[in-house]
Amino acid sequence: MLEREADLAVVGEASDGREAVSMAKTLKPEVVVMDIGMPNLNGIEAAHQMTQDNPQLAIVMVSMHSDESYVLRALKAGARGYLLKDSAEADLIKAVHAVGSGKSFFSPVVSKMLLDDYVRKLKRSGTEDAYDLLTPREREILQLIAEGKSNKDIANLLDLSVYTVESHRSNLMEKLNLRGLPELILYAVRKGIIA
Amino acid sequence: MLLLMSVAGIDSLRSLRRLNRVSREVSQRYSQHSQALETVLISFHVYDEQMEQFLLTDVIVTNLPARSDVSSGSSDVHAAVAKYPQDCSPEEQSLVSQIDQAVKAEESAFAGTQLWRASERKERGHIFIEEQILPTRTRVLGLADTVSHLNHQRLVSENQAAADEFLGLQTRLSRMVALTLLAGLLLSIAAGYYILRLEQNGRRRYLALARSRQELEGLSKRLVEVQEAERLSISRELHDEVGQTLGALLVDLGQLSNFVSPSDTIVKDQIARIKTAAESAVRSIRDMALLLRPPMLDDLGLIPALEWQARETSRRSDMEVDVQAGELPGNLPDEVKIGVYRLVQEALQNAATHAHAKTAKVSVKHEANNVDVEISDDGIGFQPDRTRGMGILGMEERVRQLGGTFDLRSAPGKGTTVHAVLPIGGSN
Repeated sequence: MLEREADLAVVGEASDGREAVSMAKTLKPEVVVMDIGMPNLNGIEAAHQMTQDNPQLAIVMVSMHSDESYVLRALKAGARGYLLKDSAEADLIKAVHAVGSGKSFFSPVVSKMLLDDYVRKLKRSGTEDAYDLLTPREREILQLIAEGKSNKDIANLLDLSVYTVESHRSNLMEKLNLRGLPELILYAVRKGIIA
Repeated sequence: MLLLMSVAGIDSLRSLRRLNRVSREVSQRYSQHSQALETVLISFHVYDEQMEQFLLTDVIVTNLPARSDVSSGSSDVHAAVAKYPQDCSPEEQSLVSQIDQAVKAEESAFAGTQLWRASERKERGHIFIEEQILPTRTRVLGLADTVSHLNHQRLVSENQAAADEFLGLQTRLSRMVALTLLAGLLLSIAAGYYILRLEQNGRRRYLALARSRQELEGLSKRLVEVQEAERLSISRELHDEVGQTLGALLVDLGQLSNFVSPSDTIVKDQIARIKTAAESAVRSIRDMALLLRPPMLDDLGLIPALEWQARETSRRSDMEVDVQAGELPGNLPDEVKIGVYRLVQEALQNAATHAHAKTAKVSVKHEANNVDVEISDDGIGFQPDRTRGMGILGMEERVRQLGGTFDLRSAPGKGTTVHAVLPIGGSN
């Protein structure tokens, strides 16, 4: 069904993890859609290896688990998209397009769950949303990072020095208590900053 | 045995006292009698001397005895005889009275000497002395000697009787002592055996108890193992078999809906209904499988599994759960992971349903070869010594089997804290 898309071409299919890694090396695709539970080498491991070989590679991880700990693990392995196994076709296509252009994509079910959890927690504990402590500039930069832009890109876009961008980045991470990019992306999904 | 000893004691005390009294009496009596005899003898001796002297003197000299002295002397003798103790044998009595009679006879003979003329006095006097005084003297002395002898004999025999009785007492006492000792020995031997037997019995019973307790523990551990294995297999089967089938079903349905024209609303509605039902089934299966054995425990590790459990509980109940976890070693033994997971599962379940808590906190720490788990809630609490539900007993048992310690603190209105410390590193 992917092949029916005009701007997409399927360049290869692998039946297990090892095959996937070697094929990715030789065929050099832009996007890889991969099941976590593959024989021989699971999706997480394969993703690690693939992104090591090719850091630009965009990976969409497919899993039957919707829990955020699995999502986080996939993101940490280098995936930029996360789909549930029973996703609709349309979501798959959206995911491929999104990660192909450097953005991230999550199954609506996943996004909704993350958001719901976050909102419920806030409501119940009554704690302030640390987001309110961010300066407008920091919020801008947060969004851009979540969308997949590098520090250099952001510096260009906002007309700032890379050094400034980096310092904003570390500040906002600190304020939001985020350790690493994957957590930032999850947070952005929770907040609804990205889809 | 005590009875024997007291009887013997009382008996010997009484006997001794009696013997004491008797011997005193005996010696008293002897001296009494001897003295009385002495008195008689002395008075006789005086009288006798006086008589003799009286008869021998020619002329009356001032300090020589007169007839009146002699008569008073004889009456002294009689007085002395009269004073002789009554408590004597008939023999003694007759001997003493014989003395008395002899004296009396002599007296009457002496009375006859009053008729003597002064010239005959010397001659008759000697004859009188020879015929009366000397024989009487001899007789009286002999009688007195016999009395003394009798007295002495009595003393001896009575002393002997006392000695015999004393010996008898001694024998009785030593026999009693021996008996008592024997009884005591037998008693202690019997007691010793009895105690030994009791001890043996007790020991046997204790061993049996220990053995059955060990068996019970083994069974209980086995039960837990079997339970977990069962849960794991059911969970996997649900997922793999049923879950996959339903998933494939949904995919097929999806494809089917592509072939339906948008205007055919009846078919579309039907397909939508089937899809909803299938999706709901998938969700139920997934939930069931997760509850039985969350794959996260094996895939991602204990902490992510606990975090998921916290989220899941927060979603399903009114209680918000927060997890604070430190670094845990990556090679936690399976049984510890499952143990901690189930413990938290049970505690959170209780907190949500029974304690109606608003918040719960789960903390997991790695401290000195142990995993320290604490689950505290702000619910209504309970009294741990009064109620011990199956769930809590199960928790305790699990923790104990893993060689850990378990404690539970709760009070009505003060919330509940479940705390367990599990050792890691090669127990069992």
